[in-house]
Amino acid sequence: MNAPTLELAVRASTVRLTDLRKRYRVGDDWAEALKGVSLAAAAGEMVALTGPSGSGKSTLLNLAGLIDTQDSGTREIGGKPVDGLDDAALTNLRREQVGFIFQGFNLVPVMNVADNVEYPLLLLGRPPAERRRKVAEILERTGLAGLAGRLPDALSGGQRQRVAIARALVKSPSLVIADEPTANLDSHTAQQIVDLLRELSHERGAAVVVATHDERMSAHCDRVLRLADGELLTGELQ
Amino acid sequence: MKWILFAWKNVMRNKRRSLTAMLITAMGTAAVLIGGGFALFTYESLEEMTARDSGHVVLAAQRGFDNDEDVPLQHGLSGAAALAAHYAAQPGVRAVAPRIQFSGLVSNGDKSAVFIGSGVDPDVDFRLRGPQLDFVAGEAPGPSEAVPEIVIGDELATLMKVKVGGSLTLLGTTTEGNLNAVDAVVRGIVKTGVPEIDRRLVMTDIRAVQRLLLTDKVGSLAIYLKDTAQTEAMAAQVKSTHPELAVRTWRDLAVFYQAVRALYNRIFGILGLIMVVIVAFAMSNTLGMAVVERTREIGTLRAIGTQPGEVVRNFVLEGAAIGTAGAVIGMLAAGATTLVLLFAGLEMPPPPGRSIGYPLLLSFSPPLYLGATLVVVALAAAAAWFVSRRAAHKPITEALSHV
Ligand SMILES: Nc1ncnc2c1ncn2[C@@H]1O[C@H](COP(=O)(O)OP(=O)(O)OP(=O)(O)O)[C@@H](O)[C@H]1O
Ligand SMILES: [Mg+2]
Repeated sequence: MNAPTLELAVRASTVRLTDLRKRYRVGDDWAEALKGVSLAAAAGEMVALTGPSGSGKSTLLNLAGLIDTQDSGTREIGGKPVDGLDDAALTNLRREQVGFIFQGFNLVPVMNVADNVEYPLLLLGRPPAERRRKVAEILERTGLAGLAGRLPDALSGGQRQRVAIARALVKSPSLVIADEPTANLDSHTAQQIVDLLRELSHERGAAVVVATHDERMSAHCDRVLRLADGELLTGELQ
Repeated sequence: MKWILFAWKNVMRNKRRSLTAMLITAMGTAAVLIGGGFALFTYESLEEMTARDSGHVVLAAQRGFDNDEDVPLQHGLSGAAALAAHYAAQPGVRAVAPRIQFSGLVSNGDKSAVFIGSGVDPDVDFRLRGPQLDFVAGEAPGPSEAVPEIVIGDELATLMKVKVGGSLTLLGTTTEGNLNAVDAVVRGIVKTGVPEIDRRLVMTDIRAVQRLLLTDKVGSLAIYLKDTAQTEAMAAQVKSTHPELAVRTWRDLAVFYQAVRALYNRIFGILGLIMVVIVAFAMSNTLGMAVVERTREIGTLRAIGTQPGEVVRNFVLEGAAIGTAGAVIGMLAAGATTLVLLFAGLEMPPPPGRSIGYPLLLSFSPPLYLGATLVVVALAAAAAWFVSRRAAHKPITEALSHV
């Protein structure tokens, strides 16, 4: 089957995945997680990946976020091919260009809110004054200004995910990967989180690829892609 | 700075576990420092004791150290007064003491016993060199009079039933091989702590000995230095100015010192090795658990752009922090022990062959403290590197799905 090509997003596409295949060894057998998926997302665009459990959403996000490698197919970030780069170069690319938001928040428990958000800037070696300014700015923007000194343990789920959004976007990455960012939240909070993510990524010109089970979440995205059994079904615009 | 703070926060994450590792490290450090301090103190005491006893550098005529003479002082040193004056004038020399070792029989008129005698310069041996003999009664002998004054061991005094002021007769063989006798007055009774010596010791003015042996030679000249560290330099100087003489340093003569040093080096070397293993074990255990617990966090940090080397570095800082804290606690404990012992006045039991114990004290050696700290911190850092490098290179997706 032909993967749907997304010509609309080709221009200015931040991330461009072409004909990705990936299979996992399961006992003596192989499980085909991706059977030739192509996807592109442009700066400022928020793309939803939906589909039943086991359809390959996480697998695709891991490839897009450069934390896993495909069996075949190609990947480009910012127009440059990334396949064939070694681990250190991929890590540097993630450091500069990719933000991650996880289902389980994955904050560093010994760091307070401000330190968690500052961490990516520390990795980039930004000077202290710039770090302070950017952290204050994004904490303000995510409604966390009053919680800067709190440890993650002392926050609600929604607050934690705001911190994660701030951590992902503080360096203004070109790509944000969010795997089920609202699955651990009630629907009202989930709504707010998706809206915040969309606003911030629009503002900062980041392409967002978000995997979600929840159709109401995907309704807030620019585009919804449906995966089933490792294949992309539709590419509809909203 | 941020990274060190981060490492410290991680150390405090599991306080009880980190504290346990710190205390084990502290105990290991303290054990090495206390053991090492004791060994160093023993070396220093023995060095001082030996050097005080024999002199730092000892000169004799050729074959003077061979102990194979047919008659007393066959290989004795002539012209000793001029030599003594020459070396006494050298910088760094505290005193030069002529010596004659001799032996014979001592008698109180009713019974006699073998003695081992030492002819010394009373001015040097009893006054310049400070308190080295433990007087049980009486005092140091004066310069040789018509009737020489002697100092004898306490057991010999008991044997001879003599008190201070009593008189004894010394019988010896002259340098010509004839018997000679001299009457002497007991001026002091001493206890060295070595029963063998206390039963036989007779010390007197070297001039009285020369009269008994009918000679003007001496057995040896002992040079006392102000600084023990100058021993080798002085020995070299003697060898070049007086190549005809035989030269020994206190180290050559200190058989006991050498034996103790070799033994202690081995004992405390093994102790140190055991401590290294224990500390390495405790650190790898503690940090290993931390690494496993934080696998998902490592995956997260790697995903957002942390290099494996940076993950490892954070753990190494953490290990170094625990190691440093442990080393500091250990140093404080060892330092406190050193101080307490200084004021406690504890005695060690007498070593084999002696009847007097010695004070239990520890030497404080900055190089030892510094070295132990460096080893402990390096060990902790190495353990952290060892246990974290695999997790840091684990595939990120795997690390992230770790529960
Ligand atoms: N590490 C793995 N080893 C073996 N099989 C795997 C592994 N990861 C994923 N799979 C398989 O690949 C397929 C796709 O998995 P993936 O996690 O991408 O699905 P998903 O759409 O994210 O599902 P969910 O909605 O439950 O998160 C599934 O059949 C899964 O069993
Ligand atoms: Mg998934």
